[in-house]
Amino acid sequence: MRIEYHIEGGDFSSGGSASSAVRKTLKQFNIAPLLVRRIAVVLYEAEMNVVAHAYHGTMTVDIRPTGIHVVIEDSGPGIEDIDKAMEEGFSTATDEVRQMGFGAGMGLPNIRKNCDEMKLTSTPGEGTRLEIQVNF
Amino acid sequence: MKDRNYTHSIQINSDKCIGCSHCMRVCSTKAIRIVDGHARIQPERCVDCGECFRACPQRAIYAQDDGLASLLPEHHTIALVPSVFIGQFSSDYSATQVLDAVRQVGFDEVFEVEHAVDFMKRAYSAYAESHSTRPLISSYCPAVVRLIQVQYPALTGQIMRLKAPHDIASLFLRKSKEEKGESTEKISIYYITPCAAKSVAASAPVGEEKSLIDGTVNMPTVFNLASRILRGQKGSMPRKSVADMSPDSVCWSLSGTEKSYFPGRSLAIDGMDNVIEFLEKLELGQITGIDFLEMRACDQGCAGGILCPGNRFLTVERLEQRRERLKMLKDEHQGIVENSLLEREEELHAHSGVEPVYPRDGLLLDEDMGKALLKLQRIDRLMTYLPGFDCGACGAPECRYLAEDIVKGKATISHCVFVQRVMEKNYKLSPEQSFEVIEKVWGKNRLDKYQG
Repeated sequence: MRIEYHIEGGDFSSGGSASSAVRKTLKQFNIAPLLVRRIAVVLYEAEMNVVAHAYHGTMTVDIRPTGIHVVIEDSGPGIEDIDKAMEEGFSTATDEVRQMGFGAGMGLPNIRKNCDEMKLTSTPGEGTRLEIQVNF
Repeated sequence: MKDRNYTHSIQINSDKCIGCSHCMRVCSTKAIRIVDGHARIQPERCVDCGECFRACPQRAIYAQDDGLASLLPEHHTIALVPSVFIGQFSSDYSATQVLDAVRQVGFDEVFEVEHAVDFMKRAYSAYAESHSTRPLISSYCPAVVRLIQVQYPALTGQIMRLKAPHDIASLFLRKSKEEKGESTEKISIYYITPCAAKSVAASAPVGEEKSLIDGTVNMPTVFNLASRILRGQKGSMPRKSVADMSPDSVCWSLSGTEKSYFPGRSLAIDGMDNVIEFLEKLELGQITGIDFLEMRACDQGCAGGILCPGNRFLTVERLEQRRERLKMLKDEHQGIVENSLLEREEELHAHSGVEPVYPRDGLLLDEDMGKALLKLQRIDRLMTYLPGFDCGACGAPECRYLAEDIVKGKATISHCVFVQRVMEKNYKLSPEQSFEVIEKVWGKNRLDKYQG
């Protein structure tokens, strides 16, 4: 089943609501609690990437009996160098964002570590698309 | 592993319950429905926090304890009294006096639970060193432990696997009796409880096969009897001349003392809503750099326990006064605290651990993933029909939960009063049928007074 959430760029105060909603849904299934949590953390990182860097975006979640497939698309500055963005510790976050506890450059590497498949594409100046698959 | 022991202390007396739904609206885990005119608790979701008990205007909700009547006369009976009990009484009465009054209520011996806190403090340091999980969550409040089992299953592994102070106190008493050659089989240790959750922790402990507590008595019962005894006393009773526990131990059950004994950064969170808000963040991985979480389901910790007869703020202040008095005694004796429980520290330490805490099934839609998905899709479709006002007239706390109940086969869409109107208009439901539906939820005679 598919659920779509809107993500507003720069809205740190309510950031995380989409991943929180997905987590609540997943808790109703017979999935190992720690896996639910892992998915929640992955989606939270991805959601906060949009909040921190982009103007706005959507998170489309598709839950199937075998796993969860998520696409996060945003309109924003995009990523210049994807390989570099995947490096641990690399971040283009502004000081303002860092002061809020984000932008440690662990977001994307963390996401990759915690999911079964990950595809990141981006057009600089237009936006970024992140596709994630976690199997149950 | 799953925990499927759904024993509860919180019960509803159907004779008194008028199905007013106050409890249903305040339940933090959405465990209450109105059926046949009475509130009904779903055992797999209830965490015995007692918010419903506070809200019930009919006093139809009660906390089941073992009671004084269950004490066996041939047994050596010991009352485990928490400091908050002493804090229910005016400071004119000394702790020694209050404890003696509890003894006179019907026990052979009394022991203040907080003696075990001096042990807990040391155990926390040791635990912090030997366990790397962070943040660790205090296992002190049984309602919080159960809340995590039901709503935050991924966090069960972060609950500290240590016994609560009253269990340690009980263990100490047993070991002491054993050493004196007394038979421990004929000892009954009863805890004077400030809440329902502690009663459940004694009758159906989490992480232990059997509790070290033999029974519980609700605080009001003992408070009433002890009050009468205290009022009848003439002259003043002796006060303690030495500190028999460290001063701040008496404040352990309140909010803020426990957290300072875990090395590192810690938070003290009290009140069901606050605890839930924080656990949500914790489960999303948003909390970093915190080592310990002290959590209490009740505002002001156990001073706000649902069974405490006194005012929680007065109780806190009295316990703080007692802390100062113990401090004075300690200072008068060159900083010496004579707590006999600590003489058995090593022995207690060997038995202070508990088994891991496992999640409960409270939120599960279906064991089978495919079936659960279908149910979720149905819930989503139903949500587009339901008004979304969460009026509660269907007997469920929110539209969302009516939808859930429908897919679980526990309710029908005609339970919704808005859908009923539409069905009537479209001749899918006769007025008589919709009358029956209302009676099914709100009780047989609920509509009688509107009919001449």
